[in-house]
Order: sequence, then C-alpha cells, then structure tokens
Amino acid sequence: MSQPVVELEDLHVKLGRREILHGISCRLGVSGRGRAIGLLGPNGAGKSTLIRTLLGFHAPSAGRARVLGYDCRTDRRRVLERIGYMPETDSFIASMTGVEFLRVMGALSGLPAEIALEKAHETLFHVGLGEARYRTLGTYSLGMRQLARLAQAIVHGPELVILDEPTNGLDPSARRRMLELIRQMKEEHGMSVIVCSHLLADVEQVCDEVMILKDGRMVHHADLEAERRENRRFVELEVEGDDSGLGAALESKGAACVHEPPGRWRVVLPPDFDAAELWKLAAAQGLSVRRLTQRRDTLEEIFMKAMGLMRQSPGEAVASEETAAHGGL
Amino acid sequence: MAVYKRGYQRYGGPRTPRLERLLVLPREAWRRVSGQRIVTALIAVSCIWPLLCALFIYVSNHTELWAGIDGDFRKFLAIDAAFFLTFMKVQSVFSVLLAALAGPGLIAPDLGNQGLALYFSRPISRLEYSLAKMAALMWLLSLVTWIPGLLLFLMQASMSPAGWMAAHWRLAAGVVFGFWQWVALVALVALASSAWVRWRLIAGAVVLGYFFVLSGIGVLVNAIFRVEWGDLINPLRASYGLWCAMAGAELPRGLSLPTALLALALMGGLLALALERRLRPVEVVS
Repeated sequence: MSQPVVELEDLHVKLGRREILHGISCRLGVSGRGRAIGLLGPNGAGKSTLIRTLLGFHAPSAGRARVLGYDCRTDRRRVLERIGYMPETDSFIASMTGVEFLRVMGALSGLPAEIALEKAHETLFHVGLGEARYRTLGTYSLGMRQLARLAQAIVHGPELVILDEPTNGLDPSARRRMLELIRQMKEEHGMSVIVCSHLLADVEQVCDEVMILKDGRMVHHADLEAERRENRRFVELEVEGDDSGLGAALESKGAACVHEPPGRWRVVLPPDFDAAELWKLAAAQGLSVRRLTQRRDTLEEIFMKAMGLMRQSPGEAVASEETAAHGGL
Repeated sequence: MAVYKRGYQRYGGPRTPRLERLLVLPREAWRRVSGQRIVTALIAVSCIWPLLCALFIYVSNHTELWAGIDGDFRKFLAIDAAFFLTFMKVQSVFSVLLAALAGPGLIAPDLGNQGLALYFSRPISRLEYSLAKMAALMWLLSLVTWIPGLLLFLMQASMSPAGWMAAHWRLAAGVVFGFWQWVALVALVALASSAWVRWRLIAGAVVLGYFFVLSGIGVLVNAIFRVEWGDLINPLRASYGLWCAMAGAELPRGLSLPTALLALALMGGLLALALERRLRPVEVVS
C-alpha cells in the first residue's frame, strides 16, 4: 500500500486552553510521487498550527499526526531529518552570508561538511541567488530573503518540503519564479510539497491536491487533478440563431444542458466527448458560436463552497437541474 | 563542472552522525564569538594576571633569591589554597566581563530575526541548541579560567619537591571543578540575558548586574536584616564558598556549604527555566 505523505488521525491541538484543531483525520499525498498538496483556509483556520504540529513545534492534545510514516511526536527527529521547512515569517541569520547560512543549515540536517558547502552554492544558484551568495543576509531584499528561505528548505534534499505562504509579499516576477521553483521541486526532483497559502491562484497553479480548513476542522479534501478533468467537461456556450433544436442535439450526444435564453447554454459533456465537437454540432444546427468557454475558476468555487459562501458549483447546478427534470430527488 | 552550470541535484548520500551535526552549532557560535576584536583584546588583558601569578610561582620557588628575608614574607610567598583562591577571584571578574561582551551576540540575533524556527525545524532540540551555544561560551571562558589555573598548578608542581602534587591535589580539583561550576553559571546568565534582552549593550549590562549588583544586594540584605539568606542571591559568595570547600580551604564566615550549594542550584534552575521559556520556535499567545 502506498505511503501517505501526511496522515492525521483525529488530531486535536490545544494552544493554552484554547483548542485550535478539532479532530482532523485525513491522508494527504503519496510518498515519493512528487505531488504538491495545498493547504487552504481563511485566517485563523489552523493552517499554521497544523504545519507546526507536523514539525513537532506543538504537541497534539489528542490523536496522531504522521509524516512519511513517522509519528510527529515520538519520532520527531526522523521526521525532521526528512523534511525542509520554509517559515512564513522573515526568518534568517542576519550576520551570515548566503553561502554560510545554507552551509550551516545543510550541515545541521546531516550533510557532510564538504557536501554542505557544495550544495549551498548549488542551491543558491538554483533559486537565483548565485550572484548574491557572498552578501550577508541582512542586506538582502524581501524577495531575496524569501528565496534564501526556500533554499535552506531544500539544500539537504528533503523528501518533503513544507512552504508556509511562499509567495507572500513577492512582486509578480518573483512570484512566478517561486511557483516555477515549486513546480520543479515536485516534477523534476520528486519532492513532495505542502504549500500553505491563502492565494488560491498559486495553489491552483502548483498543487495536485488540496485540503481546506475552517475553524480548525477539515471542510474539504479534493484531488485537483480529478477536479480539472471534471472541469474540462463543463462548458458555457453562447450561440446566435435559432437554437431550439440544440438542446435535443446535445442530449442525443449524452450531454446534460441548461438553456438560458437568449442563446446561452451551460453544458456538461459526457466523458468521451471532445469540446471541439460542439462546433460541428452548432454548425449542423445552422448556429454561429459566439463564445465557448471551459470552466476555469474551480478552486475558488471549491473554496467558496467549503466556506459555506456558495451552495453549489455551476456544474453541480446543471446536474441537479437535470436530476430534477428527470424526476429525481 | 562549474557549480552554476551543474544545477540543483537532490542529495541522496549518507548523512553525518548525530554528534557531528551537533558540533556544527558550537563551531558556528565560536566563530561568531571569536570574531569580535574586543573579545580578543579582553582575552589578552585577562592573561596578564595569570602571567603575574606564574612569575610569583617562579619567584616563590627560588628561595635562594630571598636569603635573609624574614619569615612573614616567606609565608606570604607560599603557594597554597589562598594563592589559588585569589587567582580565581580575579579571573572570575575577567570571565564575567568576557561573558558580558561575547554572550549577548549568541542567541539575541537568532531570536531577533526569528531564526529559531529554522534551527528547530531541523533535527535539533531546544536543549541541544542551548548546550551548543553554552559550549561555545564556556570554551571561551575556559581560556581565562581553569586552563591558566591548571597550568599554574602544574607549574608549581613541576617546581616543587616530589610529593607536592599528591599532597595538594585538592587545589587542582578546586581550580578545575570550581571554575567549571563558575563558567557554567556565567554562561547560563549570559545566555539567559541574550535570550531576553535584544539590545547587546543592555544584555551585557544585565550580565554585569547579575553578578555585581545582585551580590551587593545579598550582602546588604545580610547586613541590614542580620540574616544569612542573603547568600542565596549572592552568586559570588556562593561560588566562592564552593571553591573553598573544593580546595580544602576554610569557608567564609557565616556561609555553609549546603547554603552555597542550594543558592547555586536555585540560580541554575531559575536561569535554565528562563532560557526554556524563551527558546521556542514559535511564539504562542494563549
């Protein structure tokens, strides 16, 4: 059986007398597959507390948290040997140069001295700080410090990298670079990545799986890859001409649709139906297609639904209307 | 291949043993401490008194130089417990000054830049982190305390007739173990101060204040209230009492060994607690 990256069993965490996490149970990621897991939630949802619990900074008051098969409480050292952590806060050692900082961090994680130095240079070039590697960290800009924090998280080649708000405060080009580095970490280096963020676009761009927290509880866990596949089936169509026969034509191909006059259709395509076929179908009906869009804002919808701000997504609306039309519940 | 051409590769080789990893931090802390010129200068100044003591030992062991000198002066020249206790008193002052200079830079920068999360997200515990920082400071303080003390003892032993060393082994024990206790206490105070006070100057002042102001308060309490529990807050007197006991000398009047031990244990416990409260990877507001 494949090993999950993170496994939570009825995890409760208290800070002082206040319970922050209220019994979370789930299995996230698959070890060694190079997948990115997004951790989403509004402020105060418990994302950072969960991450800190995985790192052993907070002890669970009940339940269990396992990372890469090791218990975060009893096998903390083994867990920490296998992970890299990029904190949200502006953490650095001001008096050290970039190379010294990474060399020390690498050596503390178990790299032999010579290799630690070699990897420090290699990693700094990788994240784009090669030219600034002999400058002290205190002189780095915010974006450079963010990259240095990412570099220290991966210098020792961990199996799992935990990134807490990695794109916070970055300008658009630095943000793109950060997201590209995260993509490389999972796709080219096979690392599992946990990205904790409140920026849905970032999570959607790099993550394969998402867990949404609200008030210390898990409210949604989704495989974004599957969701994306699902989304490719949902299209919004706008046509010009007499579209009275379009509904029947679509249904004859196995699609479910809702008509919003004049000329607007929301369609759920069957799994083996290519969206390009719609053009042919419309042409056969003598219609000209003015707009054909596939759904894009999936994660936002998932998030809004999980937060209780939206009852159902457009795709589900079509499906439920179809169910109602067929006399379902 | 040049490193900038090679690109990043995940390290998959063997990891270093735990002890080797733990030595990274004291080495780094030592580099930080020893890189300060003022610290090097103070170490040099701290060597003056041991050199004078060495000269004293040389002179006292060449009695032919003092032919015809009266007995009282010969008694003054004797190398005994009083000689080593005086040496320890002077050097302990230098060690406090050294700790006040070097100690504040050990933890405060890590705390100030929120760097503790970076350390504690690696396989290092808070205890190991504290011990590593303490080890660097203790090694620095050792350069002006038990190492010159032991060298003086060995010098005296080499110049004395056979049997002196065996007869006076408690002096060596007093110097070495007494200074170890002292160095540990000074390092703990310096680390606690560095952990709680962000500004180096004030942190240094706190270290000096702990030893000199607190000792003064202890003496005042004893004098004003005619009590002895003022010794419990007097680190200098408590430590001196312990050194005397170890070196086989008479304890200062009014101080018992249990009181000295209790005072030192209390101080050590409170300082360790202060460090423990502060060295957290993340701040938790309950």
